[in-house]
Amino acid sequence: MEHPILFISLLLEALGLPVPHGPIGDTLLSKLCAPYMTYTWLIMGMLIILPKITMGKTEMVPGSGQNFWEACVGGIEGFMSEHMGEKRAAMMFPMIATFAFYILPANMIGLIPGFMSPTSSLNITLAMTIIVWVTHHFLGLKYHGIKYINHFTGPMWWLMPLMLPIEIISNIARLLSLSIRLFGNIMAKETLLGILFMLVGAFFGPLPILCLGVLVSVVQTMVFVLLSTLYCAGAMEHAH
Amino acid sequence: MVGIFGTVGIHVSASIFIGLGFGYYLDQKVFNGKTSPWLTMIFLAFGVVAGFKHLYQISKRKDL
Repeated sequence: MEHPILFISLLLEALGLPVPHGPIGDTLLSKLCAPYMTYTWLIMGMLIILPKITMGKTEMVPGSGQNFWEACVGGIEGFMSEHMGEKRAAMMFPMIATFAFYILPANMIGLIPGFMSPTSSLNITLAMTIIVWVTHHFLGLKYHGIKYINHFTGPMWWLMPLMLPIEIISNIARLLSLSIRLFGNIMAKETLLGILFMLVGAFFGPLPILCLGVLVSVVQTMVFVLLSTLYCAGAMEHAH
Repeated sequence: MVGIFGTVGIHVSASIFIGLGFGYYLDQKVFNGKTSPWLTMIFLAFGVVAGFKHLYQISKRKDL
């Protein structure tokens, strides 16, 4: 189902750029003009510009804008150091905080008519999940070397032929579940909103789903950040 | 952190599908159907066990 109206797509079409009407275009330019790409760039621009204009110069006595951003950053850092310790949290903070700051507006922007959530495309969520998955294996190999395989062999050595395939399947399932959960929730919200706007948009029909959409956006952001923190923390600590 | 318990269901189903898909791939593509359907069955069982193991581990965690 196509999204009702997308402002950036209309704008780009007026400029004469090839905006794809299916899920994905065929040439490079039309791939770059796909809605999930353009709205990702919108959010990137927002994330670059908004802190600049709300925060200005950092001051010793923070104003309201700086207070807000300090609360966001401090909240995420406290939450992470609770799970992986302060030193490791400081190391992993840039990546995971970027996910948090990107996913929350990306989920929320779909609630405004004329905008679309980039996270309702599997390409975006799978890309983020692959980054997390590769990073947590890299961290495991960095911290344990070849002994990282102890994470996969289970508690007793004679259980190894049984536990190794089970653990590997469970680990690959992380890749699938983390991406499809975020994608599925946000895509369901977007599709439901689109259908309700079409059917009962004049009678405030989508209003309850809009309220639920806020909840789903916040919860899915928290789940993604929490799970990527737990995966990285689990790869760094010793096997039990 | 109640949110993490909402993630159990999809992880269980993802484990089962990964196991099934890997077994099917081994059966049909690697061994050209000679071992069919045994590897599919074995890896499906591995997938089911992996899913339930994850459920057990999540229910055992005290810090969530």
